Amino acid sequence: MTLAAASDIVGASNKRRRPVGLLLVALPVLLVGWMVIYPIVAAVITTIWRPDANGRYGISFGTYQFFFSDGYSLANLSLTLWTTVLCAIFLVIICLPIALYLRFAKGRLAAYVQGLAIFPLFVPSIILSYAFIRVLGPNGMVDILLNAVHLPKIRSPYLTPWGPLIGLVWDNIPLTVLILIAGLGSVSDASIEAARDVGARSWQVLVHIILPRIGNSILVAVSFSVLGIFSAFTLPYVLGPAAPEMMGPFMQRTFRDLYDPPNAITQAVIAFLFCIVFGLFYVRSVVKNQRGR
Amino acid sequence: MAVLDIKGISKHFGAGVLAVDNLELTVGDGELVCLLGPSGSGKSTLLRMVGGFETPSGGSITIDGEEVIHLPPERRPTGMVFQSHALWTHMNVYKNIAFGLKLRRRPADEIKRRVDAVMELVGLAGYGERQTHQLSGGQQQRVALARSLVLEPKILLLDEPFASLDQHLRERLREEVRDIQQRLGITTLFVTHGQDEALSMADRIVVLRDGKVEQVAAPDVLYREPATPFVAGFIGTMNLIEGTVSNGTFSRAGFSSPLPVGDGPVTFAVRPEALVIAPAAGAGAAKIHRVTDYGTHAIVDLELPDGLRLKSMVPEARHWTTGQAVDLAPRAFSAYRDNALIYRSNAAR
Amino acid sequence: MAETFAPPRRIDWVGISFAVVLTLVIIFPLIVVGTWAFTNVWRYPAIIPQEFGLRFWSQTLARPDVWSAITTSISLACVVTLLSAIICLPAAFAFARLEFPGRSLLFFSFLAGQAFPKFGLLVAIAGIFLGLNLIGTFWGVVLIQLVGTLLFMIWIPVAAFQGVDRRMEEAARDVGASPLRVFWSITLPQAGPTIAAAVLLTFVNTFYETEGAWLIGAPGIRTMPVLMISFINNQPVIQYGAVLSVILWIPSFFALLFARRVISGGSFARGFGA
Repeated sequence: MTLAAASDIVGASNKRRRPVGLLLVALPVLLVGWMVIYPIVAAVITTIWRPDANGRYGISFGTYQFFFSDGYSLANLSLTLWTTVLCAIFLVIICLPIALYLRFAKGRLAAYVQGLAIFPLFVPSIILSYAFIRVLGPNGMVDILLNAVHLPKIRSPYLTPWGPLIGLVWDNIPLTVLILIAGLGSVSDASIEAARDVGARSWQVLVHIILPRIGNSILVAVSFSVLGIFSAFTLPYVLGPAAPEMMGPFMQRTFRDLYDPPNAITQAVIAFLFCIVFGLFYVRSVVKNQRGR
Repeated sequence: MAVLDIKGISKHFGAGVLAVDNLELTVGDGELVCLLGPSGSGKSTLLRMVGGFETPSGGSITIDGEEVIHLPPERRPTGMVFQSHALWTHMNVYKNIAFGLKLRRRPADEIKRRVDAVMELVGLAGYGERQTHQLSGGQQQRVALARSLVLEPKILLLDEPFASLDQHLRERLREEVRDIQQRLGITTLFVTHGQDEALSMADRIVVLRDGKVEQVAAPDVLYREPATPFVAGFIGTMNLIEGTVSNGTFSRAGFSSPLPVGDGPVTFAVRPEALVIAPAAGAGAAKIHRVTDYGTHAIVDLELPDGLRLKSMVPEARHWTTGQAVDLAPRAFSAYRDNALIYRSNAAR
Repeated sequence: MAETFAPPRRIDWVGISFAVVLTLVIIFPLIVVGTWAFTNVWRYPAIIPQEFGLRFWSQTLARPDVWSAITTSISLACVVTLLSAIICLPAAFAFARLEFPGRSLLFFSFLAGQAFPKFGLLVAIAGIFLGLNLIGTFWGVVLIQLVGTLLFMIWIPVAAFQGVDRRMEEAARDVGASPLRVFWSITLPQAGPTIAAAVLLTFVNTFYETEGAWLIGAPGIRTMPVLMISFINNQPVIQYGAVLSVILWIPSFFALLFARRVISGGSFARGFGA
């Protein structure tokens, strides 16, 4: 009754009213074509096929040359890469132990931990931003508590690169945990017991039996978060520093505040290029997964 | 090689659920003992406690006199073959079998020699590079067996190893496993819910019910001399007739038989092959409900006047017709009272 | 040698530490926000607010920008969810039960949006909208949010329709029900709860959609999350933001109540490619 069962889409066969089927799916498919495929193709073309000084159109990499020669753009790009890489690392370090615990633990405590791990899914990132400021911001709850026990205030991560980083990790915990748990589901109890039976200790079971089996799930979880984090907007915009800024706020500012769509779209295409590997891998995994069952 | 001694072992699941109840069992050196019982009888739990996968609530398990109950599975000298095979699908056949030796840091040439030898033993020679998903169910089972045997465990544990295989393959593997077990002389504990499997493989069978031992005996003894009505009904086919004895005669509806025990309620047990039928002159003790011809023999389903169904085995179907009235003569039988055997007729001894 | 063995009652320290840490990290910040919303006076460095009260609720709800954001958000989410249901549910049924050329390819085409960083895609779409004069309009925001709902609104109902056992439908045909009757009396009630969850999730996701609304809608269209951003950036009175957060969380609360079952099931995550 869920996404996974959508799988045998390929297998099910029923030769009824061919045109009706196409007609029914036409609208959403056209919408995807018009609002996803076309903009992406158009974005690539309009940033390459540009008018020169005389107004004649031709192939030009001007906006790309500008991006890669502009110190500020490059600083934004490297801040984005730094945040994305660290987020991915933190997510794996934090979520893998939680997922492992949830895979093997039973009972009320485990249910509580699982509920907590999934809870951020039900907290919109804008509320999260606000809560972040109230807790970790200047004179926030942490400062209040530290002050109460006569300790110095923290150096608030608010408006530093660590602000969006913490927020993004928080925001991405639920889906990472869910993807990892689903991956761990394919490791049967018996195959772990069999390994212990032939003499493997807990860490050897983890290294030799569990990790090889969920490597793919880890990559999927990482790809999914990378795609979200690389062009995240809300959290970096609200919690991050004004300069340098991450690609999301940067694109938004270029587009809306500087009224410079060509450069904004160039930045978008550059974001596409940096994520293309993760995007393709992610889509391939989902397709494989859906077909496989 | 090794003796397995289980003393006073119990296992509670949660409050009140007693999976294994104060159980005693000794498996002798080189012996193959089958744990037989319906699902929920605690047979798998017992096996998993020996393997170290369940923690007993109390009791002791020793192997060659050495207490193992505190040891985690990886440090017990036991090798387990799982029902679902539990092969590691990211490793090929060779790596599956070699994994345990690698963990023990054996030299590479020794690993190769031992893995090759065991693959030869289970009939997998030349399959080392195969991926596990390329194997048939029977071959997967052989890998699982080889994976345990290569470590030369003192005790081999088999948890319904043939449950996922078809009937034909099951019979073949049964013989092979028995051959290998006898050749290696390895002490083996085997869990099954199929009596055929237990009867054909075991030196001794332990019949379990609700976590308690009903009877421990060699297969032929178990069949001929079941100690309780449960064993009588569980092993082979048995007509169990609840009735009463008065003045040395057992009776139930139209059926009666001399039974030299004290008055009171009794469970009368007679095998179909020992229940002789003869055409009745009048109403008879029972009516024939159905006749099923199996070629080599036929089974006659009988119905007592109060509706109780019995079975009788006859050499040929053609003398018997549905609705016919017959008289019954039990040739060999036993009787139980309060879950214990109180009488066995001479012929049944 | 045969000593009696009684295992010690093991305490799940790992679980306890996870529970404590996650409670501190996940629940504590939200409690702080909740406390602020019901606080009249809370001056640094008091640990407990000096005065609790509902004063800022009436003040927040009296602001015209809050009311207009609430109506904008609700009407946007309703329109998008309704449109999405109208175009997606028949398509989902077709994908689940009808045979037509290119079905598999078209089914997976909805993943296209997932292969790209989302905000980059929004900028690319905004580039197109610029030429169509859709920037800053209600329908521009509707369109961009509608695209975001397609994957969920097709894939989850497809799974729901396929989850209905064909034999159940065949049995209904067998006792004399017409195909339409079978759909109405058997297929829909069976698939209904999952589809309802999908609709609810779509509504909630649209309600919280910030980036498209901000990029395409500003300045004309101000949804609640967009208003919240400006509160965070420009509003010195802390309680306004806190009260708005609590109001903003209400749809999520309903999603939490009704859609959790769908999400906690492992198959939800598998839909993300796990």
